[in-house]
Amino acid sequence: MTAIIEAQGVSKWFGEVVAVNNLNLSIESRITGLLGPNGAGKSTLIKLALGLYAPSRGEIRVFGSRPRNNNAVMRRIGYCPETDYFFENTTGYEFVYWLNRYWGMSRRDARRAAEAACELTRMTERMHDPITAYSKGMRQRIKIAQALASSPELLFLDEPMNGLDPRGRDEMYALIQALADAGMAVVVSSHILYEIERITDNIVLMYRGTLLAQGQLHDIRGLIDRHPHAIRVESRQSCAISKDFLDLPDVTRLEFEENALVIRTREPNACYALLNDMARKNEGLIEGITCSDDNLQSVFDYLTR
Amino acid sequence: MNANETMLEKGMRTVDLDSPQDGNRHMTLPDWLLQGRQPAYRGYFAVLQASCGHALQTLLRRRRLALAALVAFLPVLIPIALSFLSSSRFAESGNVVFVRLAEDLYVNVFTPLMALFFAGMLVAEDIEMRTMTYILTRPASRSAWVFGRFLAFMTVASLILICSCALTFAASTLHADLSLTRTTDLTLLIHYFGVIVLALLAYGAFSVFLGAFTKRPIVYGVILLYGWQYVATLVPGLVDFFTIKKYTDALLPLMATQRNVTEIHTALGTFTREVFLVSAGKAVVALLLITAVSLGATIIAVLRREYAADRAAGG
Repeated sequence: MTAIIEAQGVSKWFGEVVAVNNLNLSIESRITGLLGPNGAGKSTLIKLALGLYAPSRGEIRVFGSRPRNNNAVMRRIGYCPETDYFFENTTGYEFVYWLNRYWGMSRRDARRAAEAACELTRMTERMHDPITAYSKGMRQRIKIAQALASSPELLFLDEPMNGLDPRGRDEMYALIQALADAGMAVVVSSHILYEIERITDNIVLMYRGTLLAQGQLHDIRGLIDRHPHAIRVESRQSCAISKDFLDLPDVTRLEFEENALVIRTREPNACYALLNDMARKNEGLIEGITCSDDNLQSVFDYLTR
Repeated sequence: MNANETMLEKGMRTVDLDSPQDGNRHMTLPDWLLQGRQPAYRGYFAVLQASCGHALQTLLRRRRLALAALVAFLPVLIPIALSFLSSSRFAESGNVVFVRLAEDLYVNVFTPLMALFFAGMLVAEDIEMRTMTYILTRPASRSAWVFGRFLAFMTVASLILICSCALTFAASTLHADLSLTRTTDLTLLIHYFGVIVLALLAYGAFSVFLGAFTKRPIVYGVILLYGWQYVATLVPGLVDFFTIKKYTDALLPLMATQRNVTEIHTALGTFTREVFLVSAGKAVVALLLITAVSLGATIIAVLRREYAADRAAGG
């Protein structure tokens, strides 16, 4: 299989801050997880691959070509950024429609593609509402819709699970798997190992701008499991939720905060499964789930010692 | 020992992994998303149309535009008010009233104002709100995007100022010495239309450049267009050639060019300033050149600058 993304000695610095340092990398697999704590350089690497940045040193190639200001490469790429940026005074549908037009589609194609992408991301009902009225999860879905509307060959998803509820996360995992099965290459960045684990076994591990490792996931997972994992569940009924976790053998500690419960566990997958069941049975019980990357940080500390 | 070596020792690159856990739900994708079914790429003019259409929609939804239109139409009331309220000799001539309003307000105040607040912001807002990231990751020609934005500005600003100027002309005919049917008066009106459009071109393009190149285009624009331009017209020498006003003034009918100040009276004394006049033809060329250079510089800025970089370090 030929490399989709190839970086040779790529560095990127902003003033005195080195965001990516001498990165040598080759991404070939269908789904690649870009993993690292906040500030590791994941987003910078994605933006280098998208041509939004020029490397300060070295060279990056996507589909064998330099991506910066390269329309032939851009035609084959979709990108869902981490942060919420939207055009002013637009609805979700208009947002996708105008980006389709900027892609170079005719009016008719842009309309059809926007409707189809909204349908795929379950936004059809609300697509004519202003984006300002959307929840975080809906904004995330509309960003994914714009990335998929042009049916790209390579999709970059920068922290796509942010803000999604358990059901939304499930759908996102399924969507990524389906896209990869259909032949699309997907690069997903996250600072949470367990998110990446659900979708791929190929990871690129970054830390402070350097490539720590590129390889198979379960080796890292072994290291991670030695450290308790913290899951913060936002709910007004945190006491009720906590009861079910008392019986789980790998839960080491439960901490109560205002309208939230922090679960420390050595077996996070069991906890996530239980939380998903709870969320499905009782909509509104769980308002949000955030995962601390403390344990990942401790693995990075261990690896870089 | 570096980090890579540490991981290599642990066999990170060499050990095969079992299949990833398959606890995920399955999803069937629609046909349009399957490979090889990308929509047709329509090219340069489709992007230009998109950029213009989107900018027009954005402009028309802004309250700022309604406010600007309201302000731009206020001069229409002046000749009407003068005809009822004033008994000065100035108010007796519709020609004088119209010319003063056209030059002092439309050409010298409204055109730079419209350019700063609309042309500059059309580009700057995409940068500031970071929606530029989406546009730069589309296979969109950067020049088509810039020209589309500029075209939208020209359409809206020209429409507002020309309509307002035409109504001011009509209102000025309430006074003597100006008629809606006299050819020379209508030629004068069309002359001002031309000056307004050319001024919008140059000021608009320059503002677009400021929007793409600086973080505070309105601040720099106010300093340059309202501060520098007026100072430069007072400073002796050839400094005023580095202003847009020099060339828009040169296109005004004779009455206006005769108003150029050659003597400056101050507390320190009276200074004489030699004014180097520019012919109308050369002024048109200069304004078109300013437009072309500004738009060209904007396109180069969009191609070369890293607009996503302001919060990138470490991200």
